[in-house]
Amino acid sequence: MSEHATTHAAHDPNLGNTGLDHRKMGMWIFLGSDCMFFGSLIGTYLAYKGKSLSGPTPYDVFNIPLTSYSAALLLASSLTMVLALAGLQQHRIKAAAGWLLATAILGLHFVLNQVYEFASFALHEGLTLSTSLFGSSFFVLTGFHGAHVTGGVLWLLILVSLAWRGKLDARDYTKVEIAGLYWHFVDIVWIAIFTVIYLIP
Amino acid sequence: MAEHAAAAAQPAHGGGHATVKTYINVAVALAIITAVEVASLYIPGIPHAILVTTLLAMSALKFFLVVGFFMHLRYDSAIMRALFVGPLLIAICIILALMALFGAYILLPRPIL
Repeated sequence: MSEHATTHAAHDPNLGNTGLDHRKMGMWIFLGSDCMFFGSLIGTYLAYKGKSLSGPTPYDVFNIPLTSYSAALLLASSLTMVLALAGLQQHRIKAAAGWLLATAILGLHFVLNQVYEFASFALHEGLTLSTSLFGSSFFVLTGFHGAHVTGGVLWLLILVSLAWRGKLDARDYTKVEIAGLYWHFVDIVWIAIFTVIYLIP
Repeated sequence: MAEHAAAAAQPAHGGGHATVKTYINVAVALAIITAVEVASLYIPGIPHAILVTTLLAMSALKFFLVVGFFMHLRYDSAIMRALFVGPLLIAICIILALMALFGAYILLPRPIL
């Protein structure tokens, strides 16, 4: 069994000299660089915090119950993502596809909440990208995060489509795991944004 | 046959994974921490420095629970950990540097200019 596994690994074209899957390593490198990207945006938001000359303040516009609900959606989607991976590992392809679909739906719900939040800020509070330093730094940071979530939802829907067409099975474990890494990353970025931007007074 | 199929489903690079029970336990812990975070905003009289420190600590705990268990970094190789933790430390340094440059403080009151 172990000899077979070793032979299997030796012939796997996705393994590099380190013995690690280069696709997965590439995703970790991307996530590391994305950490620095979001670090810059969060740092800029904090640097400008309280320095706006006009316009509504965060305390005037933030809807903490709605944002907490959105945070719960993303946390739940992280659970459904790992359950999809576990299903694939156990060769339960339909279950895995179902969990992937649930993850995509939760992500889509998050994006729709963000669209609603942005629209209410713009239409009811008069806060736009160009209103103030707060508006600029807030919309750029959360907008880029929302774009990441949207990309993740599309990726998940592609995986669901592949599973429904019988083109995804347990051998594609690493492909789904890499999508999962990306998805969990947008969750941890939101964990940071939720606390630093919304909760800290 | 089943053994062969199970082997095919395992990552060939040796990364282990948590069990479904662990995933659910982690999710419950995340939900509880989030509820405490939000509830702490509505408790009057908590000193600012303590509130901020507690919120940051809870956020960091959630962060590392997701990275460690859901992203499997706890079970992954040292190279993968270094590829993520290194840039993460740089990102934290970027945040602190920008805050220091612009005189922005989270824990301390802002200086009166």
